[in-house]
Parts: sequence; structure tokens; C-alpha cells
Amino acid sequence: MSKVKKENRTEFRWFSISEYEKEEEYLSKQHGMGWKLTGITFPGFYHFTKCQPEEVRYQLDYNQEGISNKDEYVKMFQDCGWEYLMDFVGYSYFRKSCAQMSDKDEGIFCDEESKLDMLIRVAKGRMLPLVIIFFCIIIPQIIFQFVSEGGFHRPVLISYIVLFIVYIGIFLHFGMEYWKLKKKIER
Amino acid sequence: MDRHIKKVYVPMTETGFYILLCLREEMHGYSIVKKVEDLTNGEVRLSPGTMYGSLSKMEKDGLITFVREEEKRKIYIITELGREVLSLEMKRIRRLYRNLQEVGCDE
Repeated sequence: MSKVKKENRTEFRWFSISEYEKEEEYLSKQHGMGWKLTGITFPGFYHFTKCQPEEVRYQLDYNQEGISNKDEYVKMFQDCGWEYLMDFVGYSYFRKSCAQMSDKDEGIFCDEESKLDMLIRVAKGRMLPLVIIFFCIIIPQIIFQFVSEGGFHRPVLISYIVLFIVYIGIFLHFGMEYWKLKKKIER
Repeated sequence: MDRHIKKVYVPMTETGFYILLCLREEMHGYSIVKKVEDLTNGEVRLSPGTMYGSLSKMEKDGLITFVREEEKRKIYIITELGREVLSLEMKRIRRLYRNLQEVGCDE
């Protein structure tokens, strides 16, 4: 799904809550092909403008405290050579040209512990609301559909079961990401 | 020192150690990054996401305290609790170093 104009391009992409690393790779790849990110609009339209193809690393942070103290938060990244781009659904976007890096693997996190800390912040900020919806709406609705006297209403039941499966998928994926990082740290 | 602090900070990450070591005098985040780079001949480079997260966590846990702001940079200094944690960590590192020498390391 992409609309090609002269100098600008918009592409729709869907990344689940814990797929920020995939998103970073996607954005870096686009920049490498001469398309730099200019903005993102809900629910997942990525806007690019034509540029000189360059090796640039994109990084996402999730830090609500940072967003509410924007000036000093952004300053810290700028001091370290990272360009601040925008915030989108709680994530802050940064990029830095690889030519300016003394260490090829430089990122906005330098140890596994702080990566795990970020994942915990994502869990609290983004996953917790989903867990609440799951236990307070989806599960009760499914049970209600089964026990209600008029028998269950098939389309409603099916939609809740689809939601149930999607949510389980999101939880499992998030759990795996968490577990992988945790293992990495314990090693 | 309560159990939470001990569990989280003893032993601590390299980032945490360097932050406390530097904050025995007033400093802001980026000057810590610079100083650590100098101290380690560029071997340890602290990243902004890690720094921001660690500083706010340490401030919340009372290991460091906010002094003032200068040009959008927050300046911190170590607290009494921070010094206690740092000296525990130093003791641990000295022990490691001593043991390394006792057992011998020919590398």
C-alpha cells in the first residue's frame, strides 16, 4: 500500500507494541534507500521525503517521564548527537548518522539492563491497559454470551473470540520479548 | 539501606557505578558521559537513553538528588544513601581485583 508522488511518499505499516526493533530497522532501511522519515500519523502511516541515501540509525525510546520533561530529555539526546524527530503513541523517535558513530553498534541504550527497563515501561504504559480490557471486557463478554438465556449471538461471540485470540497473541509475543532480554542479561 | 536498594544496586551496572562515581561532585548527564569517556580512554561510552533512565531511577530511589538546571541540563549530586551504595560497590570491586591477583591472571 504505497502512494508514490514526486518527492514524498507515504506507506502504511503495522508494528505491534513490542516490535519497536523491527520498526527501527524498517526506518533505517528506508533512509538507506533515500527516503527519510518526516512524520507518522495514526494508525500507522509513515511519511517520507526523498533524500541522499545514507546509513542512518533510527532508535525508539519509551519514556513518559521524558515526554513530560521534554526539554531536558531531548537535550540529553542532542548532546550525544541524536536528532529528535517526534513522539508517536508514547514512543520518541531519534536518529543519528552512522558516519558520526565511533562505535558501529552505537544505540540509545548501552546495556541490556536499560533495554529491559524500557520494555518494562512499555509494559506499564501500553500493555497494562490491554490486560485490563482483556480481563474486564473480553473474558466477561465471552462468558456472558455462553450463559445468557437467549443463547449466544453468533457474530458478537465470534468477534470476541477473534479479539481473545489477537490479545493472547500480543501477550505471548510481548512475554517472549521480555523473556529473551531477561535471559540475555542473566548470561 | 532497605532491601529494595540492595537488590537493585548491589552489584550495580557499569553505568550506575560510573554515574555515582562522577556525581561525588555536581554534574549533568552529558558531562558524566564525557568524563567517563575520558576516564576509560573511550572504552565506555554511555548512551543517552540509558543515562536518562538511570538518572531518573536513581533520583527516585534517593541515590542522587537534583541540584539545579542549566541550559536545559539537570545537574545532580550524590546523596548520603548514594555514597553508602557506592562504597559497598567499591568494596566488592576491590575484592574482585584482589582475588584476580591472588589467583593470578597471565593475560
